[in-house]
Amino acid sequence: MPAVLENDVLVYKGSNFFRQRLLLSTLSGRAVKIEEIRSGHDDPGLREYEVNLIRLLDKVTNGTRVELSETGTSVYFQPGILIGGQVTHSCCTQRGVGYYLEILLALGPFCKEPLNAVLQGVTHSDHDVSVDKVKAAALPILLKFILVDDGLELKVVRRGAPPLGGGEIVFKCPVRRHLRPLQWTKWGLVKRIRGVVYALRVSPTMANRVVESAKGVMLKFLPDVYINTDQCRGSNAGKSPGFGISLVAETNEKTFYCAEAKSAESGSGAITSPEDLGRECALQLLDEIRRGGAIDSSLQWLLALWMALGQKDVSECVVGPLSDYTISFLQHLKEFFGVMFKLEVQRTDDDEDSSDDEQVSTAHKVKMTCVGIGYVNISKRTL
Amino acid sequence: MADESAFDKKKAHRAKHAGRKAEKKKKKHAVDQSNLSARQRNSKAFAIQSAVRAERKFRRREDVIAKKQHIPQVDKTPVESPPIVVAIVGPPRVGKTTLINNLIKSFIKTNVTSTNGPITIVTSKKRRLTLIECNNDINSMIDIAKCADLVLLLCDASFGFEMEIFEFLNICQVHGMPKIMGVLTHLDMIKNAKTLKTTKKTLKHRFWTEVYPGAKLFYLSGIVHGEYLRNEIKNLARFISVMKFRPLSWRSTHAYLLADRLEDITSQETIRKDPKVNRDVVLYGYVRGVPLMKESMVHIAGVGDMKISELSYLPDPCPLPSSEKKRHLMERERQIYAPFSGVGGIVYDKDAVYIELKGSHSHKHEDEETNEKKALLKNVVDTKETVDEQMQESGFKLFSGGAVIYPEMMKDDEYLQHNKIQTKSNSDDDSSDESSSEREEESDNDSGIDQSEKDVFDKTKLPWEDNSGSEQDDDSDDSDTINDNMKVSNENFENEGDFDTKWKEKLSEKATDAYYERQRTSKNIMKLVYGDFDIGNKTKQKQEQSDDNSDSDEEEIGGLFKKVTHTQKKKQKEKEKLDLDECSFFYSLDKPNVRDWSSENNKQYLMNCFVTGKRSADEDASELLKLDDASDGDDEDLYGDFEDLETGEKHTADESKDPQVEIGTKRKAEPTKSEILDKKLKLKAKFDAEYDNPDDHRIKGDHSYYESLKAEALKQSELNKSVFENLDNGLRIEVEGFRPGLYVRMLFKNMSSEFVTNFDSSYPILIGALNMAEQNIGFVSCKVKKHRWYKKILKTNDPLIISLGWRRFQTLPIYSKIEDDLKCRYLKYTPEHVTCNMHFYGPITPQNTGFLALQTVNNNPNEIKQLGFRIAATGSVNEINKSTQIVKKLKLVGTPLKIYKKTAFIKDMFTSTLEVAKFEGARIKTVSGIRGQIKKALNKPEGAFRATFEDKILMSDIIFCRTWFKVDVTKFYAPVVNLLLPVGEKNAWQGMKTKGQLKRERNIQNEANTDSMYTEVIREAKVFKPLTIPKTLQKGLPYRFKPKLKTTTLSGNDPKNKMKERIAVVKSPYEQKVTNVMKMLKTNYEKKKEVQKEATAERLKMHKKQQEEEEWRRIKRQKELKKKICRHLSKMGNKKKTQM
Repeated sequence: MPAVLENDVLVYKGSNFFRQRLLLSTLSGRAVKIEEIRSGHDDPGLREYEVNLIRLLDKVTNGTRVELSETGTSVYFQPGILIGGQVTHSCCTQRGVGYYLEILLALGPFCKEPLNAVLQGVTHSDHDVSVDKVKAAALPILLKFILVDDGLELKVVRRGAPPLGGGEIVFKCPVRRHLRPLQWTKWGLVKRIRGVVYALRVSPTMANRVVESAKGVMLKFLPDVYINTDQCRGSNAGKSPGFGISLVAETNEKTFYCAEAKSAESGSGAITSPEDLGRECALQLLDEIRRGGAIDSSLQWLLALWMALGQKDVSECVVGPLSDYTISFLQHLKEFFGVMFKLEVQRTDDDEDSSDDEQVSTAHKVKMTCVGIGYVNISKRTL
Repeated sequence: MADESAFDKKKAHRAKHAGRKAEKKKKKHAVDQSNLSARQRNSKAFAIQSAVRAERKFRRREDVIAKKQHIPQVDKTPVESPPIVVAIVGPPRVGKTTLINNLIKSFIKTNVTSTNGPITIVTSKKRRLTLIECNNDINSMIDIAKCADLVLLLCDASFGFEMEIFEFLNICQVHGMPKIMGVLTHLDMIKNAKTLKTTKKTLKHRFWTEVYPGAKLFYLSGIVHGEYLRNEIKNLARFISVMKFRPLSWRSTHAYLLADRLEDITSQETIRKDPKVNRDVVLYGYVRGVPLMKESMVHIAGVGDMKISELSYLPDPCPLPSSEKKRHLMERERQIYAPFSGVGGIVYDKDAVYIELKGSHSHKHEDEETNEKKALLKNVVDTKETVDEQMQESGFKLFSGGAVIYPEMMKDDEYLQHNKIQTKSNSDDDSSDESSSEREEESDNDSGIDQSEKDVFDKTKLPWEDNSGSEQDDDSDDSDTINDNMKVSNENFENEGDFDTKWKEKLSEKATDAYYERQRTSKNIMKLVYGDFDIGNKTKQKQEQSDDNSDSDEEEIGGLFKKVTHTQKKKQKEKEKLDLDECSFFYSLDKPNVRDWSSENNKQYLMNCFVTGKRSADEDASELLKLDDASDGDDEDLYGDFEDLETGEKHTADESKDPQVEIGTKRKAEPTKSEILDKKLKLKAKFDAEYDNPDDHRIKGDHSYYESLKAEALKQSELNKSVFENLDNGLRIEVEGFRPGLYVRMLFKNMSSEFVTNFDSSYPILIGALNMAEQNIGFVSCKVKKHRWYKKILKTNDPLIISLGWRRFQTLPIYSKIEDDLKCRYLKYTPEHVTCNMHFYGPITPQNTGFLALQTVNNNPNEIKQLGFRIAATGSVNEINKSTQIVKKLKLVGTPLKIYKKTAFIKDMFTSTLEVAKFEGARIKTVSGIRGQIKKALNKPEGAFRATFEDKILMSDIIFCRTWFKVDVTKFYAPVVNLLLPVGEKNAWQGMKTKGQLKRERNIQNEANTDSMYTEVIREAKVFKPLTIPKTLQKGLPYRFKPKLKTTTLSGNDPKNKMKERIAVVKSPYEQKVTNVMKMLKTNYEKKKEVQKEATAERLKMHKKQQEEEEWRRIKRQKELKKKICRHLSKMGNKKKTQM
């Protein structure tokens, strides 16, 4: 859905990509107006978690102006200057902490003061990346852009499963004047697989059963598989029962693929068997590995953002097939920053071979090339 | 034995030291001295004599090297760089125009009669210059300093440096120092040779202190026939053409343009109706700095922020010669392009035709200077009349260099056909002539550009055009249909999924496969992501047209029904996507059913992604080892032997038999032996370069870190240049932006009419692109220092004109000082000779950007004379924010109402209980320094409160509460719009006036505050109460501290008081007599006593003498007696001795 420009305000329709739009608006300093938010639904207007997101953005910025219509179906958002610093935010339990954490991850390097955020809520959710995934896969990517790790940290204080949550994480991010350009075209081969299985308010045997089944799949490919179990007790286990697994595959070029799975919500009535869960997660990881590319598929958009916000230099990266989310993010990037990526489908010799057998279609790598817009952190103070 | 051996000994060989043979040998062994370095020839001289000195030497060398090092920056100079801006700056009447004319003449051998605005000339095979003269206005000086690469600073030597020169140098320092060359003119005015010499010297040294020691200063010794000496100009030209430039930080992050042409394309009719109507203005120029993005905001200096509504590139009007192997420029390649001055070649473009015969004076300028506007309008009108002719002509002219395209050919072109149909239909539809003619114009130009693109097409392929161009058009449709398939399958899945899980599995699998398929089959992934984006010069409007076209085509082919469904489906899809939940996963929301990778036949596809799998040939260790062995085995015959290749082949053959390696065959073909050899040789060369330094065995410092940084920057710059090299030009511009060196045309809509009507070409039009967030306005905090040559100090909240980034604007600054706790304390005036902080409301600009401040930009000579030096302050940006925190000290004063021991009630400090409540717990202090704290408000007198102190205070004490009061920065920001002013008054922009100015103008005088007046100070003597010590306390005191109230005198009175109480005694005559007698008697008695005393003393003396004599005699007697006894005793002793 392309934006309509009204006196330098980008006007969008619909609630989808709400987070992308607010994020890009905050970074670009351009005002944005979103209309017809669920206007045709029984429950019109913004959801609680979206309002919560606006709150969070208000906390990390100074001078943000938000105007909500009476019905909540239209929002006008005029961003301020990114401040950062100490932020404590209790996230809405409708979405996972990852929903908010990804935003902070994207904003973190451009704040006035180093970000030190405490987020409370559901740490593992079906619709959002879990904190384990961010820690394992997203932070190494950011590290490539800021190069020196002085205080980039994500600590899971306690875990919380939906629906009630009760988890808490601490995210610290240093500030930078600008990001470095990135050239990342090789991702190497998977050399080790690590994982975490957590069990919250359920029997510890669940965790072990998950580990066993996941390991069973992975060991067929690689001997170097270690999966930790994180059996939480008492207050550390959050407010709802649940268990889950996240697997990380590391390649010899420091690419991290991550897959995760979790048990069904406690109130929903569905039953998840731990063996199925472990197997499902392992298969997902294999799927992710097959897609390949220098980066995990759900973090493509973050990579695209940081590439676009670099110096006026060429960045290039090869990723797996673009996800729908990334595609729409690229569209938004063009609308907000005017930056366009050169996308090329990389062809290898195997393509011609594989076209013969219809059974398995290989995943196509996409080479993303862009010139950074020369974004500088305007909020940082120089003395 | 020994003897034998001695016997057997043969005569040893003695080498010849002389003779022919010896000489030959010597020659053979002698080293050729001529080829050796001094070090090798005379190694002893370079040996380390002293370790300490060697260490010092090393240290010194490293210091020198380290001093030279800069942080390596990515070199952003474009391959085909834009012309270098050479600005000629100086006070009026120093010969700027003459110099420009002479330079042009020396470069391109033509005389130019009028020089107005930028003049672009080709000077050499790789260099073009844009010469621009700076008029005597501080606004122009600032703009010129922001865009000039090289400044020729002219100075009248007979007069010396004028204020303008120093001002300009200061402006340059703030906005990034361009290269500066001084030029002294009017040297012939100084007749005396000696004074000439000294003036030259003093001026040179003054110039050096301002720029840098050793800066180039040219002397133009005089004018002959109205021209400078040819030799000197030639020298200057040579210097200009070899000048090198350093990147400046602001310009290497911002794109900018020095407009060298302006057209007003508003329709005549609307102007006729309302001459003040907002205009559509087209500006042309070379992009400089960094690539210019299509949708970026720009700031036109002297006008304001504008949005580019259309941006496109044009063929270069002043191109560099084609790269043929020639030493010199051909005469016809020495081009000049100066639309404002009325010279240059023929240029065709979208809006106008511009014709001028090169260097021909015979061409009649009827009113070249006076009526330029008219000419511009005429151009526009002309184009409209002869559209068809132009079309024909443009076909010829544009491709005169390359493939010639005739109008007939153009008719054949499919695209044009479309357009023609379009225009026809348009003209049918719209009866108005204007719009159709405009369209036609556009289509005409578009076609031209399209064809140039088509030419490019053959050479460079679009990235998605790998296999078939014909597929391209169908791509979107394909993907749509696949999508539809997916949707259908999903729907099915919803309906039937419940009772057939297997079916479901297959379906979702299909869906995921379809997804891959979509991305795979769509060759044009960019089209998938960005939709139909406009490439290069094609505008959006046209795109729509073509879209309509294609639709109509479809209509023709498929009928009405199909078209409707297609668009409806699209809309439906969009609608569905509108309110979905946001999810960043690959399979958003719906859980996919992934393939079972663990099964054997699926596993083989994945195995190679793991280290345990088969690697590609150039990585596989065993392969490499084998090849290594193969190549190492016969190092001597690198080129001759082919046997190893055979064995190599054998190896592969062996492996291909292995069942496991079937997977591996999919990988890249094995590198041939020669490839590997190449690789090895490269590695060896690298190693040699690193470790072998044959001629220099000195110890070297480790600069590897710096070197690696440098290499990284170099690599990045190479990548920047190479990555889009082969891309189609239109797409390249989309991705990269309009790179520097392109000649672009930018259309601004709704430009105020004054810009066109009051246009003066002697003022530079600087168009600077704004980066992200720079178009916003906020509070800017910066550090600032009043210029030491500025006579006044600056007052807070006095309007100040600031030149920051591209902009010049007036604002109201507040000065402050950063305290130790990082609090900004308000200052009323700038301190002298120290930097202070300044806050103002203005455009957001990156940190560390320099700025300068002026109090006026008015060129009123009286004002300038009064000011002397106009630059009031300089500084740089520190921080941006959306709010400010500047505080001012505020002392709240109160007086005691009632005092208890250490508690007191204080009144008059606050006016209400609420205020007190806010200050509970605040520290307070009396004048005498007794500290305390505010406790709680009182009921009775409103605003009074209870406070406690560390000691009892007095009723006469005054109590202070020290607080900080926040000062707000006034939100005032007014860009200097001097380009909109009428022609004669462009240098007289007047913004907000200072309060003082207004008062002076209107003759307003403030009533003096009576409180602030000086009055006589009358001080009454303070009367203290006597100190009384309570009796109980007195009792306890030790005696010495007890107050001694009773005096010890007999009278019982204080001895001091006694004197006061005495009464004078007056004696009667009798009494007087008596006292006289008594006095006499007393004197007599005293005399007698004195005599007696003397007599006694005499007697005593005599007696003492006598006594002494007597003593003497006695001693004498005793001595004699002793003598006698001793003699006697010795006699007796002698007798006894002899007896013995």
